[in-house]
Amino acid sequence: MNALLSSALHASAALVLVLLNGVVLVFMLRRMIGRMHLRRGGLHAGPGGVIQTAADVLKLLSKEGTRPGGVNRWVYAIAPMAVFVPSLVAYAALPFSETLRITRLDTGLLFTFAVLSVVPLGVIAGSLASASNRALIGAMRVVARQLACSVPLLLSVLPVVMITGTLDLGDIVNYQTGLWSGAFPRWFAIPLLPSLAIFTTAALCGLDRTVFDIHGIEPGPESGLAGEYSAMRFGLLCISEFGNVFVISALAVTVFFGGWTLPFVPLDLQSSIGPVVFLIKTYTLVFLFLWTRSVLPRVRTDQLMDLGWKWLIPLSIVWIMLVGLVVKASLPGTVV
Amino acid sequence: MLPDVTAVRSLLSGVAEAEAECTSLGVVVHASSGDAVAILAALKSSEFDFAVLIDLLGTDLGDRVEITYHLRSFTRDEDIFVKSSLPHGGTLQSASGVFASALLPERETAELFGLVLAGHPNPKRLLTTEGQEPLLLRSVPIRTVKEVRDG
Amino acid sequence: MSPRAAEHVEHTATGRMVFDVGSQHPSTHGLLRLAIETDGEEIVSAEACLGFLHRGIEKLGEHRRYHQLPTLMDRGDYLSGIHGELASALAVERLRGIEVPPKAHWLRSLLGEINRIASHMAWYGTFGRDAGVTSHFFYSMRDREALLDILEAVTGQRMTFNYVRPGGVIADLTVVAESKIRRFLRTFDAHLDEHQTFLGGNELLQKRLRGVGVIDRDSAMSLGLTGANLRASGVPYDVRRDRPYAAYSELEFGIPIGTTGDAMDRYLVRIEEMRQAARIVRQCIEGLPEGAVMAKLPKALRPREGETYACVESPRGELGVHLVADGSETPRRFHYRAPSLFAIAALEQMLPGTLLADAALLVGSVDIVPGEVER
Repeated sequence: MNALLSSALHASAALVLVLLNGVVLVFMLRRMIGRMHLRRGGLHAGPGGVIQTAADVLKLLSKEGTRPGGVNRWVYAIAPMAVFVPSLVAYAALPFSETLRITRLDTGLLFTFAVLSVVPLGVIAGSLASASNRALIGAMRVVARQLACSVPLLLSVLPVVMITGTLDLGDIVNYQTGLWSGAFPRWFAIPLLPSLAIFTTAALCGLDRTVFDIHGIEPGPESGLAGEYSAMRFGLLCISEFGNVFVISALAVTVFFGGWTLPFVPLDLQSSIGPVVFLIKTYTLVFLFLWTRSVLPRVRTDQLMDLGWKWLIPLSIVWIMLVGLVVKASLPGTVV
Repeated sequence: MLPDVTAVRSLLSGVAEAEAECTSLGVVVHASSGDAVAILAALKSSEFDFAVLIDLLGTDLGDRVEITYHLRSFTRDEDIFVKSSLPHGGTLQSASGVFASALLPERETAELFGLVLAGHPNPKRLLTTEGQEPLLLRSVPIRTVKEVRDG
Repeated sequence: MSPRAAEHVEHTATGRMVFDVGSQHPSTHGLLRLAIETDGEEIVSAEACLGFLHRGIEKLGEHRRYHQLPTLMDRGDYLSGIHGELASALAVERLRGIEVPPKAHWLRSLLGEINRIASHMAWYGTFGRDAGVTSHFFYSMRDREALLDILEAVTGQRMTFNYVRPGGVIADLTVVAESKIRRFLRTFDAHLDEHQTFLGGNELLQKRLRGVGVIDRDSAMSLGLTGANLRASGVPYDVRRDRPYAAYSELEFGIPIGTTGDAMDRYLVRIEEMRQAARIVRQCIEGLPEGAVMAKLPKALRPREGETYACVESPRGELGVHLVADGSETPRRFHYRAPSLFAIAALEQMLPGTLLADAALLVGSVDIVPGEVER
């Protein structure tokens, strides 16, 4: 009973986190893009534009959910959940601090990637159920894109795993505490800069809110999956997209930027401010992702495929070999 | 701006029965509707190099519809107009084989003057719906303010 | 079955899909419907279905006095009303033999170029939207807003100006309007550089535009393209230089031309046209002569029987008005050449063989205004 209650609490905490995160990201997006776009209205509704966000949320919640004719009722209704739930589950293994995390998994890194790669299933199900050729072509692009980017995404973190010898996100963070030669934080972002570059590029491909947003709802003749959804079903798809931005940024922070730790700060202090540090780092990355979204044009599908298959994957394989050689040479016989 | 009328006449004498004259519009070639496309092709491939069909329009002259082709040569910067007449409801022979730019204006002209389009790859109506009377004929009245108000 | 599917997988043979793009769609720049047939992502055929904005401008023109024609032309190409007005006014003046005071000529050029920049700014904004960028749109609207402000200060209207009339223009430049123009010119070149760096300087966008939607020199001519679309294909034809009207014979400006005729060239030509237009505006403001802005004309114009064609360089190409007079107060036939109509025909030829992802981009790259096409 106690264990059940505890996991129920954890699950609801995750749900609240995801929903809150969605709201915070909408707020960020409104403010940031409002400034960038010279659309000042959103900045002035209430203190700092808070009311604008409240209105956005209320609108999503209170809109009438319509269902177009000719759709497959069940799949159509389930698909947004099938997109939303994996994004929700992906939060499970994220370490907010040494102790604060929903669950501790030995294979946390692998788990997060595995869960995120389920999302396209829901997308394609929803598009088929929508009975719309626009949604279908949009979803096909999402799937093609996911294939082209999740492989390099996974390959790009392998060097970290090779060096640390663990898939546990918490252990990866612990490995990065302290300083190198007393001056540089022991973050993997410094020695494994190529990994970080591949990770960022692949993540930009994988996230919907970015340069590589090729299934976009907007001007193309083909709108994405969300084209046939309205109200809270659309809201779920939206929150899922926002959630994925957060999860990918959190992963990058964990793997490359030392997670909840801060260099030059005493350890006992770190444990108390850990979650705050983690969130600040993550939202900084989120900001960068959203920034690219608002200034760069969209990439065509075939160009994206080229990038993923012909550049990122070979590059990451070469890089893995290099790192492998160095690891092997420096510490013969053992993994660190 | 204006091509040499005598040179145009001598060029066309070998192609078809047509007369060229200089009017307020410019140099105008009057041709029968059957010869119009042949004359356009001749003008295009001649030394005048009328490579562009700038415009195509119809005019309702009451008893017949006059089709005006407006050609231009960029190399010599000269314009020429070819006019041919059709009876109401007559057949407009498509010039789209000679000038691709005739594709849409021909559809529009045929539709708005009630002509039949022949030799066109896609002879559908362009602007108005099926059953709409040919709007640009002078016999089709526009409604007065009173008629519009009274429905 | 698609030729690409292998012989033995008949059961998975791909069918063709038909996409009805429009008539209400952000990428169609008005009310244009495109029926696009695709094989997967590749476009097999495209047909433009027009008529959503047919208001019978030509028919109405036959029942309006010659003075009233510019009012109708405003509603044709609503993004560049001045050019429509100017074309019809020129046609009437040519038919009736009206002498226009020099100041009116200069004002026509001045307002025409301001309107050209405003129209190109609207194109620039929507074109980038087609490529998936959002931010630049609001910056282009910022500049367009300043221009519409100027146009409003001079003509009293933001879009349907009714400013150029047979015999001249209806109002002189006010001090307020002049200072607004000067203020605009102070920042515009820097703003244009900013636009060019932001969108055109972006490598991702260049990769999408290079080699896409190529119209070579010969097909551009045979399709009757004019304006920036023709110049991007390498034909240096500009009505302002080759058949000068208004004050253009006294003004200095360059005519940018492209080399390959792809979407990138069309983009660059239009951006450079804005720069040249700003240059013309500057010259007009400096060299504006003194005097009247309207010739003395009778209340009703009755040109003698005759026919004429007058054309101007609108932002979309050669906008010509063909007038047939029969000696009465109204024209016998009033027709205008809409450059966008020919651009749509070019679009139908250009789309097959390209990817669906590029369709919106190509529609944007030829810069059409359906209101002008459908009269």
